[in-house]
Amino acid sequence: MSVSNMGGFGGKDTPFRFTPQRIHLGKDHELFEDGDIHRHMYLQNLSSSETDEQPKHSVSEFGCHISGCCQRFRSVEEYEHHYNSLHRHVCSACRRSFPSARLLDVHIEEWHDAMFDILSQSQDMYQCLVEGCGLKFRTSKQRKDHLIQIHKYPPDFRFDKTKREHRKEQKPQTRQPAGGAEVMEGVCEAVLPAADPEQHPEEEEEEEDMETVELQAPSGSGEQGPPSGGTPQPDAETVGDGQRPRYSYRVPATVCFGKGSVRGFRGRGRRK
Amino acid sequence: MWRLSSVRHKAVPQGRSLEEFKLMRREHEKVLRSARKDNLLVSKRLLLCEDEDETPMDAASGDQVVHLVQKLQQSGQEKETHLKALSGSLRNPSAQTVFIKHENSMHLLVGLLSGSQAQWRLLALQCLHELSQSHQPNVTLACVPATPYLLTYLSGQSTKLTELCLYTLGNLCPGSDVVRDKLLAQGIIPALKNCMESQRSSLAVVEAVGFTLSQLLQAKDAAEKITPAVLASGLPSLLRSVLSPDPQFGLAPAIECAWCLHYLTCSTVGSSALRADGTLSRCSSLLVALGGAVSKGTKEEGMELLVWPLLRSVGNLLSSGPPGAMGSQGGDLLPALCALARAFLPSHPALARESAWVLNNLTADSSELCTALLDLNLVPELIQLLPFSQGINTMLLRVLGNVAHQTKRSCSQLARAGLVPALCATLRMSEPDVVALSLEVLFMLVAGCPQAAEEFVGQNGVALLEAVQYNGDGEIRQRAAHLLEHQLPAPPTTTYQHTSCSTTYPRSTSWSTTYPRSTPPGAPPTSTPPGAPPTPPAHLLEHHLPPQHTSWSTTYPPSTPPGAPPTSTPPVAPPTPPAHLL
Repeated sequence: MSVSNMGGFGGKDTPFRFTPQRIHLGKDHELFEDGDIHRHMYLQNLSSSETDEQPKHSVSEFGCHISGCCQRFRSVEEYEHHYNSLHRHVCSACRRSFPSARLLDVHIEEWHDAMFDILSQSQDMYQCLVEGCGLKFRTSKQRKDHLIQIHKYPPDFRFDKTKREHRKEQKPQTRQPAGGAEVMEGVCEAVLPAADPEQHPEEEEEEEDMETVELQAPSGSGEQGPPSGGTPQPDAETVGDGQRPRYSYRVPATVCFGKGSVRGFRGRGRRK
Repeated sequence: MWRLSSVRHKAVPQGRSLEEFKLMRREHEKVLRSARKDNLLVSKRLLLCEDEDETPMDAASGDQVVHLVQKLQQSGQEKETHLKALSGSLRNPSAQTVFIKHENSMHLLVGLLSGSQAQWRLLALQCLHELSQSHQPNVTLACVPATPYLLTYLSGQSTKLTELCLYTLGNLCPGSDVVRDKLLAQGIIPALKNCMESQRSSLAVVEAVGFTLSQLLQAKDAAEKITPAVLASGLPSLLRSVLSPDPQFGLAPAIECAWCLHYLTCSTVGSSALRADGTLSRCSSLLVALGGAVSKGTKEEGMELLVWPLLRSVGNLLSSGPPGAMGSQGGDLLPALCALARAFLPSHPALARESAWVLNNLTADSSELCTALLDLNLVPELIQLLPFSQGINTMLLRVLGNVAHQTKRSCSQLARAGLVPALCATLRMSEPDVVALSLEVLFMLVAGCPQAAEEFVGQNGVALLEAVQYNGDGEIRQRAAHLLEHQLPAPPTTTYQHTSCSTTYPRSTSWSTTYPRSTPPGAPPTSTPPGAPPTPPAHLLEHHLPPQHTSWSTTYPPSTPPGAPPTSTPPVAPPTPPAHLL
């Protein structure tokens, strides 16, 4: 095979290996199957007219690259929508995904930032989730009330949920079809496939007790626990990078964000 | 007779509706595919005389056969009637078995076949022809005593007899090594050659010779036993001379001869012999003519039966030997191949795939042809075919890779022809081969043409490659990572999908204490990338992206999109982290 003018492509220091190559195909090669069949159908007087038959070509599907996500799509737009909805704004700590960068920010800030925890003891840190509102609250419950009263969110809207509460309240919620997993309303989020807290109740317990750390997490009473802002507690499996939530989770009831939609999404994600 | 002056499909067998016929055809196709997988793909042709039809006789003809044989064994005047009745009976498989088991029945038939009565000869031959339809090895073997006579008649003067002999021989060839070896020993190849030469004017005979030869050449061991003899006999030049279809008679003889050439060129010995003697040039000219015809809209029924073997012959002839064997003809062949691929894609995608294969073999070692592909503006056409699967897009990506491998100028021409957005689409496809090849082509393209790199980045390519980095295939991940690290410029921070901010972020000084922001799922919990899938691509964040999150220690205000009502936080609010960077 002749080497091209641009030697250096696919050199030893790159992983690329393409070189132009002529290809020989033997008589029985599988690439020749369709043509051979067509030939023999003709020999046996079984040819068909082109006009009788449906078009036989097929178009490549698009597929989500994320390892473990097996979704397929018929157009780039579908692919993009899927990716943007589910894989884009993802918290690496707890692997929850969010419909927008802002909500992800809020989540990280409220759940994975030690400073937040400290500051929230003395300042109003729980920001309203409605963009542009700008108000902040001392507790997540206050924020929730604000959202319901001022911004007219329905009381059963899927707010964030704490771990403990989450497990208890999960059952009633899990049966929701959550067909809208991909089109999330409000601030629901979806957990990516393979996360199923219900299956690992023990692990959740363990996580709750774990404290890593640079900063002492306040063990505390009242509203200091895991913020009930944007997300439910991290999921059962190990959280990335050894960064585990450092709070105790004794918090009053709030409802969960999108737990039902998690179920729905998971079901969809696993569907083939 | 079943000449292909018009393709037979229009003749629905009597007694069936079109739907039944289609169903039968689909079932039969499955049978053929399974047979091919076992290397047992065998077809036989039935030549009907004018006054016959195809309907099989009743099942109760076993006794009838015996009765007829007995009658024939007596000397008498009604041999013709009996022979005609016998040939009708022998259409039935069980009757065939009865016949061959009956003592001296074949001897009788051979006697009539070699006798002096011309009419009896022909009728005996028809009986033999019916027997040759059988797929039972014992029936085929039972016909062997007749073969020397069949071969002798090939050089006879009666075209009808010759044709019938040829199809009988062609039916007997496949499926039995013993029969084939005998025929070879008896000189079938020189006989075929002489027949074709002397009866060149009778296209029906020429078609029949082509059929018989193709049956021989399809054998498993043909490359060793049969191809050398065929090459030595002078048949290839005769085959070549038949390739142009006759407008009156139709495509059929050309089809048969083209398939013979395909089987010959599949083997290395055949390929090297035929490369030297003008076959490549002849097949290419024909493809150019056919490509021209389809691009003008004239597409004859059955044309694909001729295009297919021609493509394969050219493809295999190009696959080895010195590069540049096409010479100037290559430039004509390129647009013809594109036209053929486009025209046959809906009905025969495999044909489009084989056209792409020939394009690959043309461009792989020829900078002239790569340049010609660009100069003839064929790249947009090829790009339009990239959505199609079943091996079409992978082969076309190879072709584009061949071109990109050439010079920087080739790369920029490819970029101008619109390859970058096309790769953005193919990189999202689900087949790993397509993605891997797309990455290879992209690498060559951006390495050779910086504008292409910028264009790719401008089309959100960085985000796309970041997603590709989480692919299940290690090699794909590696390539995507390499491209991001070494080949692509940093995306401009102004290119947000939904905001139009123009400030840049200050880098967070407390980055190390905050969590990396977003990783697609599937990330292993470790923070160092062990080469297995995905970890937070820290290197990306360092080189390309502003930090997505800063900790409270810098009193970073919550992100607000620009234009939103001011919040209670400091007025200089950086915009929302660019979504596409995540």
